[in-house]
Amino acid sequence: MPLKKVKYFIEQSWLLIISALFFGLLIAAVNASLAPQIERNKINKLDNLMKKLLPQAEKFKVAAELQIDLAKGKKTKSTIYKAISKNGECVGWSFNCSGAGFADKIELVVAVDKNFEKMAGFDCLSSNETPGFGDKIKEAKWRKQFDGAPAENLTLAKTGNIEKIDSEIIAISGATVSSDAVVNILNNAMSQIKKQMTKIQN
Amino acid sequence: MSNTQYAIRNTIVGGLWKENPVFRLLLGMCPTLAVTAAVKPALTMGLCVVFVLVCSNIVVSLMRNLLKPHLRILMFTLTIATFVTIADLLLKAFQPEMSAKLGPYIPLIIVNCIIICRAESCASKNGLVISIVDGLAMGAGFTVALCVLAAIREILATGAVMEINVMPQSFIPWAAMSMPVGAFITLGLVLGLINKISTKK
Repeated sequence: MPLKKVKYFIEQSWLLIISALFFGLLIAAVNASLAPQIERNKINKLDNLMKKLLPQAEKFKVAAELQIDLAKGKKTKSTIYKAISKNGECVGWSFNCSGAGFADKIELVVAVDKNFEKMAGFDCLSSNETPGFGDKIKEAKWRKQFDGAPAENLTLAKTGNIEKIDSEIIAISGATVSSDAVVNILNNAMSQIKKQMTKIQN
Repeated sequence: MSNTQYAIRNTIVGGLWKENPVFRLLLGMCPTLAVTAAVKPALTMGLCVVFVLVCSNIVVSLMRNLLKPHLRILMFTLTIATFVTIADLLLKAFQPEMSAKLGPYIPLIIVNCIIICRAESCASKNGLVISIVDGLAMGAGFTVALCVLAAIREILATGAVMEINVMPQSFIPWAAMSMPVGAFITLGLVLGLINKISTKK
């Protein structure tokens, strides 16, 4: 008696079916009206961070989407932005990169000069390091030593002068793992992106 | 006092004190431990829960006579999931920073016991008015509890409340209080204190 079964099924579940349809439409409507705003928020956040790193730039244009190899065979995607000044000149490059931190994934946005020789600084897009120790990677005081450092082969030192700008990065005391993670992410991303970008441009 | 008024008063007192979801029923412990490192995220979380609780209570109360006993949990979850998704989208659009800070804990409201508990024990048995009042009172109780815990933790961890300094210059912040260990210690001590107060009566 299949008809009887169908009837029983509908009798039992009509409310569920109708509400599922109605709630689905409700979510779709809310999503449709808010999606542009959410997209704008995301772009604004990245734009603001990049503008802080490269203040001479007026706008950022997507230049390439590259794949970066991480340790242990993992891969991540990175979007490269070309920073363009008011006169239309290229004043640098900016890109996002990520890697394993102490507690969770660290996502950084990095800016370098137009020849990929010197860093113009970096900032944290997202991280979940230990409060009071590892999360000092977000503080401007520590990040300042990357401002003008060579864009390759950064090394980590436990002690030294934090104000001297060179390839030697002074670790945060009590958070060697987090400091090391940032240096590794930067070294890995910068060397691979530089290689791929020179290939594209030639 | 009429019967309805009495019932409404009872619901409000129940939500805020007698049946406070966090301090008396020990429901919704996951957000209680996770987002109380500072007052702002705790307040946002609380308000989201109020929104979801009131909306789901309204819907459940309106359809309470149509519910089939064996399908009711499914209906509750469907309703709650809808409003949580809406709250999540609203936060992402208008409070992107808070949304990033709270991360997965907003979608996790779907499985928050408080909301399904209120749908089951109040909204599916009572009329619209009582259900709305219950949603507001329970939500307020949850928000207040979260803010109390968050205020204690934020003061001890950073010396500030809502990012405004309240402690003297010489205060040394306890970083541990903003970590999970601080959440467990604070919750335990506050629960003990509340039990002490309520047994005295």
